[in-house]
Amino acid sequence: MEYIGEHLLPGKIGHFLIIFSFVCSILASLAYFFSTQRRALPEAKGWRNIGRTAFGLHGISVFGIIGIIFYVMTMRYYEYHYVYAHVNDDLAYKYLASAFWEGQEGSFLLWMFWHVVLGGILIWKAKEWESPVLAVVAASQVLIGSMLLGLHFGSGEWEFKIGSNPLLLLRDVMQAPVFANADYLSLIKGTGLNPLLQNYWMTIHPPTLFLGFASTVVPFAYAVAGYWTKQYKAWLKPVMPWALFSGAILGTGILMGGAWAYEALSFGGYWAWDPVENMSLVPWILLIGGIHTNLIARNTGYSIKSTYLFYSLCFVFILYSTFLTRSGILGETSVHAFTEMGLENQLLLLILFFLGITLYQFIKNYSKVPAPEKEEATPSKEFWMFIGSLVLFFSAILITVSTSLPVYNKIVELFNPEHIAVTIQDPVEHHNKFQLWIAVLIGVLSGCAQLLRFKERNWKSYMSKYLKHIGGVILVAGVLTFLTNYWLTIVAWQHQLLLFAGLFGVLANLDYLINFIKFNLKIAGSSFAHIGFGFMILGAIASGLNKQHISSNRFAQKGLLDEKLLDTNVLIFKDMPMYMSGYRVTYTNDTMIGNERIFNIDYEKLDKDGNVLNSFSVKPVALYNNKLTKVAAYNPSTKHFLHKDIFTHIANLPEVEADIEARHAREDSLKFISYSSMLGDTIFMDKFFAIIEDINRDPKHEEYEREADDIAIGLKMVVKRPGFEQGWNAEPMLLLRKNMVYSYPTQINDLGVRVKLPEEIFARVFDMNQKLKFTDFTLKEGEEINFNGSKIVFKGFNTEPNNPEYTKQEGDIAVGAKLNIQDPDGKPWYTEPIYLIRGNQPYNLKDQVEEIGLHFIFQEIDPNNQTVKIGVAQAEQSERAIPVEMTEDALRSDYLVLETIVFPGINFFWMGTIMMMLGLAASMINRRRQA
Amino acid sequence: MQKIHIIGLVMIALAIGALISMMSDVVEYSNFQQAIDAGSRVKVVGVLSKDKPMEYNPQKDANHFSFFIKDDQGMEKKVILNKSKPQDFEMSEQIVVTGTMKNDNFVADEILLKCPSKYKDEEIQLKKEEQKI
Repeated sequence: MEYIGEHLLPGKIGHFLIIFSFVCSILASLAYFFSTQRRALPEAKGWRNIGRTAFGLHGISVFGIIGIIFYVMTMRYYEYHYVYAHVNDDLAYKYLASAFWEGQEGSFLLWMFWHVVLGGILIWKAKEWESPVLAVVAASQVLIGSMLLGLHFGSGEWEFKIGSNPLLLLRDVMQAPVFANADYLSLIKGTGLNPLLQNYWMTIHPPTLFLGFASTVVPFAYAVAGYWTKQYKAWLKPVMPWALFSGAILGTGILMGGAWAYEALSFGGYWAWDPVENMSLVPWILLIGGIHTNLIARNTGYSIKSTYLFYSLCFVFILYSTFLTRSGILGETSVHAFTEMGLENQLLLLILFFLGITLYQFIKNYSKVPAPEKEEATPSKEFWMFIGSLVLFFSAILITVSTSLPVYNKIVELFNPEHIAVTIQDPVEHHNKFQLWIAVLIGVLSGCAQLLRFKERNWKSYMSKYLKHIGGVILVAGVLTFLTNYWLTIVAWQHQLLLFAGLFGVLANLDYLINFIKFNLKIAGSSFAHIGFGFMILGAIASGLNKQHISSNRFAQKGLLDEKLLDTNVLIFKDMPMYMSGYRVTYTNDTMIGNERIFNIDYEKLDKDGNVLNSFSVKPVALYNNKLTKVAAYNPSTKHFLHKDIFTHIANLPEVEADIEARHAREDSLKFISYSSMLGDTIFMDKFFAIIEDINRDPKHEEYEREADDIAIGLKMVVKRPGFEQGWNAEPMLLLRKNMVYSYPTQINDLGVRVKLPEEIFARVFDMNQKLKFTDFTLKEGEEINFNGSKIVFKGFNTEPNNPEYTKQEGDIAVGAKLNIQDPDGKPWYTEPIYLIRGNQPYNLKDQVEEIGLHFIFQEIDPNNQTVKIGVAQAEQSERAIPVEMTEDALRSDYLVLETIVFPGINFFWMGTIMMMLGLAASMINRRRQA
Repeated sequence: MQKIHIIGLVMIALAIGALISMMSDVVEYSNFQQAIDAGSRVKVVGVLSKDKPMEYNPQKDANHFSFFIKDDQGMEKKVILNKSKPQDFEMSEQIVVTGTMKNDNFVADEILLKCPSKYKDEEIQLKKEEQKI
């Protein structure tokens, strides 16, 4: 079939570039391989130049692929599956990048993009290391690039797939009847970006994290290069700044994930030991371990093998983490959503390839790697740093083992299909239990080891100074631990110990900074990083152990919420202040902007006498899906103070507010009772009574927007509670638009009353006109007639007629007849039927006094005699009754369930983590200068 | 014996200790029969019984949601979740609940849904009236 409007050229160029970049990466990797192997020969330079050219072409192709995907996304070419799956017409341009890396293919490309950038810098700067390092980087590009190939072999059960091509056409990926239409493109629209991902975190977190991922290839490549070229020591120097860079960026990327979870998602925390978080943390821990052994190796010559293993395993674990998160294997243990691409085996192959290289080199060179003959001295810096690295390694192993249980299950199932899968009961508790000791050891070691000296040869003379300083630090840390207990409630001794270890680390490194290196900022990076670690521990203890739900009011909420949740959630009604834990909280309003429904919640802190001490507002959000039919997520809003955060999020909305379908179902399930009443009469319900005050032919409703040709009827009603003067207004309406009837009911939340209009109201209002029998009267101004006991006086013309059924148009000639009426009871009324000439065509617009059932038509004007002909009709009593439907058991829908948590001292956590990253960055800059 | 060997032995001892200690945190995914027999806190895997009623009345209790799931042995039980109803609950392919059996009901405080990915969505979004084909 010849399809209309498809743009196939970008796809074709893209396919070519994918293949081309893949081939170039193979070529680059081979050329650099030979350049390394024959490094002693003159041809090495030629090979290197081929490698450079191939890597350059590879890089250009990768940029080209990314450019093409952005182009088809920008142009909204929905014929491409990737565009269809991630973009829609409404998506703002600022989220285009997020939509690009939302998909697996896009994120692989992002990864490759960073490899290309890093590879470029290495070609420029790495000098003699260029060939072996780039051989490894290019090889990693071959394997990641293969994820985009989209090649299929075999069929049926034996179908193999290599990669998933991001430029496939929609009609090749999905089968649907719509493709029978040559013009299918005019019918389809995109799925759009998941609304949860439409925020700035999704713009900054993935590129940072992927730069972190990508940068781990460099230390790995240097490690392999060092072993490969038998320069076991020389690589330790140039690798250092790269490892520090990687540590800073990967750490920042992970932290951004935590900050995103805390700031914008309703997780209620920044770290949850979720498998996805764990598996990005493990490579970082290994990297930090590697940086420490690298430092030992540079200063003393010990620990070269450990450094090699740390850096290599870091990269392998990056791949393993990719495997876990992209294979769907974690589906049962993680809250994150995963998609399976059918590339599990390919990913596994990738891991095994690099693990193979790592182990092969390690074993082959094991005995050749030089190490000092003598053992390191016990009171030396290198010894205790090495112990610290081992602790980090241990931490990585523990986290990995627990997180890998799904993999264990899969493997055992292969051999024993009867195997019952196992999992960790409570992951947070489990990990905290073990990592607590890791943190205690790291805190203490980071202090103790920092003050020691490398290659200690004169411990005897140094010992007293050392012990004096350590003793002082222990004393101050102990006092501070004691004082902190006035601020935080810490029950378990293990946590007291952890607090002490954190403070000890901070103080010891502060001591080092002041008394040992005398604020020499060039070499202060490690002090800052370690102080940061200590503060992070302090912040985690404060905000984690001492987080407190203030959203509770046991007294007021009894019966509203489940007993178990009384202490954590409150239900608040709109405009009704709720008192909780010393705050007066009021939900004042909400507004819809795009697909965000933003709620305004006011907090007022009260003292004992009820005076307002301070007040602030938060704006939590209910985020609707792209079709605006359902709440997709609730996003929190946090008030930051220096010493604490107050975190607020909506735990729940009434189902009728959160889900359109539920709203319809509720509407259908309500038992409405039909009433029929004369205007002004009282309708008695079970508990309340209602009065219809008027029929409104130009009704208004907050959800109704008037369009031309709408026919709408509304009622003005008041609902009252017996014995109370005050009433609640209700203005339900019914709309007829293009043969469809739409109902706009009114709900009075305070009474649980819901009012709607039945379709019969149209018959009541419009059919009546046909049944009326008009009697015509010819009247002069001031003349009075009598009709069924009512006196009617013609009071003259109104040339600016005002009638809800009349909308003025250009060229109209309209005139109203002012009629004063006195009903048989002597009550006065006013009415104004209209005579209208529009386009040479005369019309008579009726007017009526519903209360007494009199209808009037302005039949004609006799200009010569200055008279008008007015038709008057009396509606039958039975026809005048107005139908209305009401129920008294409508549930309230003007409330929300709120969860508010105070995180004390959380800024210690952020400050500490940021200091760690800055410390790593500062060290990188320093090492870079040295290298 | 060198220090490094002592450290190695200590590490191995610690590793074994940690692994043994980890075993106590590991549980098997259960079915309802096992949950009844155990009487303790377990994780049950099942699929939502779409023909049975789901009850959720947030005004009465915003944190009470009940539904039925069927485990891999075909046993069906009512699950009472002490939480609000999760988003896209009906779309789940598989549900993992953590809790205990109480009076023939499974009282859960944690839930994990496995939802189909949007790539598997065999429906094409059309422009008009949100129709799907």
